[in-house]
Amino acid sequence: MKKIILLICILFLAACSNSASGGNDFPTKNVEIVAPASPGGGWDLTARSVQKLLNDNNLVDANINVVNKPGGGGEVGWQYIQSKDAHNLAINSSLLITNNLLGTSDLTHKDFTPLATLATEWQALAVPVDSEFKSLEDLMNQFKKDPKSVKVGVGPALGNDDHLSFVQAVREYDVDPKNVDFLVYEGGGDVVTALLGGHVGVVTTSLSEVKEQHLAGKVRILAISSEERVEGLEDVPTYQEEGLDIVFPHWRGIMGPPDMTEEEIAYWDEKLSEMVKTDQWQEVMKNNDWEGFYKNSSETKKFLEEQTKLYQDLVNDSGLGQ
Amino acid sequence: MDMSTFMQGLTTALEPMNLLWIVIGGFLGTIVGMLPGLGPATAVAVLIPVTFGMDPVSALILMAAIYYGAMYGGSRSSILLNTPGDGSAIAATFDGYPMARKGMAGQALAISAVASFIGGLIAVAGFILLAEPLANFALKFGPAEYFLLMLLTLSAIISLSIGRMVKGFIAMLIGLMLSTFGIDTQTGVYRFTFDIPHLSEGIDFLIVIIGIYAVGEVLYNLLTIDKQKKEKKKIGKVWFDKDQWKRSKWPILRSGPIGFIVGVLPGAGGSIASMISYTTEKQISKKSEEFGEGAPEGLAAPESANNSASVGAMIPLLTMGIPGSGTTAVMLGALIMLGIRPGPMLFESDPGLVWTFVNSMFIGNIVLVIINIALVGLLVKILDTPAKVLYPIILLLAFIGTYTLSYSAIDFFLLIIFGYLGLLFKLFDFPIAPLVLAVIVGSDMEQNFRMAVLSSNGSLGVFFQSPISIGLIILTILSLFYPLIMKLIRNRKRKHASEQRKGA
Amino acid sequence: MKAFKIGMPIFLILLSVFFLVGSLRLPKANLGNPYGPLYFPIGVSLLLLIFSIIYFIQELRKLTEDNEAIKELFSGRTPKLIGITILFAIGYSLLFERAGFLLSSIVFLGALLFLINGPKKWITNLVVAVIFSFISWYAFSEMLGVSLP
Repeated sequence: MKKIILLICILFLAACSNSASGGNDFPTKNVEIVAPASPGGGWDLTARSVQKLLNDNNLVDANINVVNKPGGGGEVGWQYIQSKDAHNLAINSSLLITNNLLGTSDLTHKDFTPLATLATEWQALAVPVDSEFKSLEDLMNQFKKDPKSVKVGVGPALGNDDHLSFVQAVREYDVDPKNVDFLVYEGGGDVVTALLGGHVGVVTTSLSEVKEQHLAGKVRILAISSEERVEGLEDVPTYQEEGLDIVFPHWRGIMGPPDMTEEEIAYWDEKLSEMVKTDQWQEVMKNNDWEGFYKNSSETKKFLEEQTKLYQDLVNDSGLGQ
Repeated sequence: MDMSTFMQGLTTALEPMNLLWIVIGGFLGTIVGMLPGLGPATAVAVLIPVTFGMDPVSALILMAAIYYGAMYGGSRSSILLNTPGDGSAIAATFDGYPMARKGMAGQALAISAVASFIGGLIAVAGFILLAEPLANFALKFGPAEYFLLMLLTLSAIISLSIGRMVKGFIAMLIGLMLSTFGIDTQTGVYRFTFDIPHLSEGIDFLIVIIGIYAVGEVLYNLLTIDKQKKEKKKIGKVWFDKDQWKRSKWPILRSGPIGFIVGVLPGAGGSIASMISYTTEKQISKKSEEFGEGAPEGLAAPESANNSASVGAMIPLLTMGIPGSGTTAVMLGALIMLGIRPGPMLFESDPGLVWTFVNSMFIGNIVLVIINIALVGLLVKILDTPAKVLYPIILLLAFIGTYTLSYSAIDFFLLIIFGYLGLLFKLFDFPIAPLVLAVIVGSDMEQNFRMAVLSSNGSLGVFFQSPISIGLIILTILSLFYPLIMKLIRNRKRKHASEQRKGA
Repeated sequence: MKAFKIGMPIFLILLSVFFLVGSLRLPKANLGNPYGPLYFPIGVSLLLLIFSIIYFIQELRKLTEDNEAIKELFSGRTPKLIGITILFAIGYSLLFERAGFLLSSIVFLGALLFLINGPKKWITNLVVAVIFSFISWYAFSEMLGVSLP
């Protein structure tokens, strides 16, 4: 009898330690993933996908909630987790860097613990299908001749990746981006409508906004900011093939509050790296036209430092610098 | 269009599971839409997690049903309590609320449900026949055309404040001023943000609506709350009479197409559609002096228009993958998560989905009109609640509704300020609608004006270039001077008549 | 009462001056036309000033006319009622994120009901405050998934 009780106890203990993933006492309460935007937006959907996958695959032994904290281009949500502990994560993107460079926020990536870069989209430059510009070179030469002769559609705000990737492209051709006329639309969709209606000459936007239109033969994508050609769009060259030294990811990642312990960082590294390996994550990426871009906590930290340097440079050249 | 895919869509939409989703979505949407501040966009957004893991077709059907449900529900609170839940329900307060005050709440609710239904049907028919040509027409709208459309909306609304023009202009200008708060889109400059990060995205027009209408209405009613005797309020019949129907019939049929076309334009939507149809009806009506005092056609017209606008908004979403409104933007996000990418390819790659969806809109409207008419009897009971209990509850709901907009209690202070402003406006007899509409369209108006001028390298000629622009300018001038012209014509006729009499 | 009636146009004039000064002091744009962000607010606030002055003159002329609604504002307990309601609302805004939704809502709704409906009906007030707060918490937080504090 005693033996049986002992056995049960041992089994029970084993079960306990198993579920707490190697004896680590983390997490001790509900996990919160902050989407620093309203429900339905890109950040919100990223947060909800991460929540769903961590739950479905039993990766995290706690309830996971998604909390929406919109405002200030991410500022409100990020500020919110700054004072929290390692149970509170937030979705981020390059806005974390640019907000500070544009002078709209005091926060930088150093105020947080980067946990992972999850995925990326690529940037595209597109013209109407009947446009006189057949290649990136045609277009850039026209900008060189007269930067105001072609209007550029961008949205929803200056200083975002759409805008800055364009800045990086034109300055390679020695065109001062400050002299280019940008029409700033409310969102990526409006930019595409403007292009289809012929109200702008070229748009710079995420690939996913114009991919369908390109396939339908309504617009022509002149170049993509990826390293290699993208699956399904084999006819579209990359910037590098067109002779510009540009690889411009439009990444999104996840981070935690500052001062996380080694163990906590290791915990999330393990869980998130497992998550991105699942088939479901592959499907999420496919649906969103994202590409795998996983970097763990320490890689992400280094990546963010490099990115900050690049963005600093681009923001200054764009004329938006402080 | 291919008849077999259409019929196939109809059968899929009629599958018991999908029918169930239509009913659930329509019902939930109606309830959420009734609450002050909770409009279609919020309703769809908060229900997104439910659609995760659903079959894409059912998810689309559910979201659309919620959307239309919220459009139907939005006007319930406009009519009963003078507290619209969304921009597109504002016009329903103009005559719906006076009707309810006159003891015709039941009739008003019934008319609005039927008008919404007919408007919806007109728009679904329009969708089936005209989706593609209209999508191409919408592309012709550049910054110049959008600016002129906003201008037309504002001039239409100003023309409503006849007799108190100065106050109307003041209200509109305050609204325009408020719309400049936040980041200036064209240049990234911060305007009137007072170093509050929360204000950098500007003031959500829904806070203005909830504040001025709901909170303002409660505060205003506090003035007389001790005098409101416990008289049993007359609720009236729950169905409209023949005369009301006769007056509403043509306005409903006219407003459906207007709303549909405005709805197709990305960024325009229900607020503009309902306002334009309301002023159109008022100006061509022989009984225009009854508008604003509880004219049934003044309620029927905007209700028909805003519902058909919500169907129209699906066209750019499905044919081009371009969301034309906050609600359709949320829907686009959810669809992408489900692996559907709306766009020019969708009609070819997945016609079954599109036609199932179109048919579900048709069935959805039938379901919704039944739900809403069944609810009339229940809803008018709200008016039975003693005012002293009802008003604190409305106040609480206004706060919750505001919180769902951006999950921040900072908005509460804005809500209180706008509530107080609403009280002042009512005390001093200022029209409210110009302010709210100006907040809604102001920023688009300014930005489109500047984009138009920039794209023409500084020339103002850009506003007179396209036939659409010229049409819009003519409509704007007409909307401002039509009442005057009519007066002149009438006077001349009278003169003529009296001269003839003299001659005889 | 006259002071209050003329107060509105004066308030509007002050408001438009505030906006005008604010618009003139807006930062210039680094991109495109440096004055781009200024034209519209300056134009609007100028127009607002002009219309406010016209309104001021109109009101001066009919200062002696009675306004029923405003009379109501100064009769009986009305000014106190409105003032306290607004104070409660401010209190609620401050309390909301600290005390959590349920507690602060019960207090707020209860306080309003005691104020407006009167302490005599304390049972109704209490029941409505508790039940309604709970229902709305349940509906929003549990059914709609809105994260309330």
